[in-house]
Amino acid sequence: MATTIYRPAVPQHRAALTVLRLTVVGLTLATAAIHAKLGGPLFTLNAIGYTSLALLLVVPGPFARLRWLVRLALMGFALTTIGGWALFGARFPLAYFDKAIELVLVVTLTVEVWVVDGGPIEIARRVRDHVAATRALLRGKP
Amino acid sequence: MTRVRRASIRLSLVAAVVATGCTAAGTSRGPAPSAPADGAVIVAEGQSFDRAELLIPADRAFQLLFENRDGAPHNVTLVADTAAAPLYAGEIFDGPEARIYQVPPIPAGTYRFRCDVHPEMSGTVVASPAEARDRTTRARLRSGDEDHQVHPRLRST
Repeated sequence: MATTIYRPAVPQHRAALTVLRLTVVGLTLATAAIHAKLGGPLFTLNAIGYTSLALLLVVPGPFARLRWLVRLALMGFALTTIGGWALFGARFPLAYFDKAIELVLVVTLTVEVWVVDGGPIEIARRVRDHVAATRALLRGKP
Repeated sequence: MTRVRRASIRLSLVAAVVATGCTAAGTSRGPAPSAPADGAVIVAEGQSFDRAELLIPADRAFQLLFENRDGAPHNVTLVADTAAAPLYAGEIFDGPEARIYQVPPIPAGTYRFRCDVHPEMSGTVVASPAEARDRTTRARLRSGDEDHQVHPRLRST
């Protein structure tokens, strides 16, 4: 099986990356709190989704290797939420404020994906590797 | 100080305490407030409206008292099934708070009401001329429908 060596974070940028990560987690928890406050089944599920993804971004252990995937999932989740609101959502000050948070979250995540994960080409390569590995696993080949 | 004066001061203190208690208890479950004269009333609590059917006067402007008892933002929007634009969209606001919406004239008929933030909170609006509405209300009061009874505290006012 081919081993892919991913580009590690440059040490002098580690502090900046930590700030970036904390910003992403903070924004995610902020929009989760707003959705939890709105109540109702849809908003509560949305809040649970955001909170779970925020946790997966910081918990150590086996999930740490898949943070690039969590970042992508979080970006997709935020974009879906913004799209859902644009199509069906109510227009009121808290909603606009929340969408602003989610837009900043998407931008921050894009920066993080670019800096930490190596950008879209690197991400595409990882996805390809994972798909290949999963296929091999399903066929029973190491 | 005369006995009458002392008694009136005591009474004022009791009234103030009761009034404060009522204000503080604004978030708790209680009977719906009475409707504005010739208007309508609706309450949101626990992510649902207190009634499935809202009776409103047809063909003339009226006041709709909306009390939001939740911490979450709610509003009341009146919509016709056939039209894309709502007949009237009340302002969205956080609870616990009550506001009076000034609703423009709506033709007689059956419509829907909903909360724009939580579309699952919805019901039916029946706009009918005042006489027909009064007959319905009187019939409901006779049958003991609590939704259409006036708040006991406000009954004498």
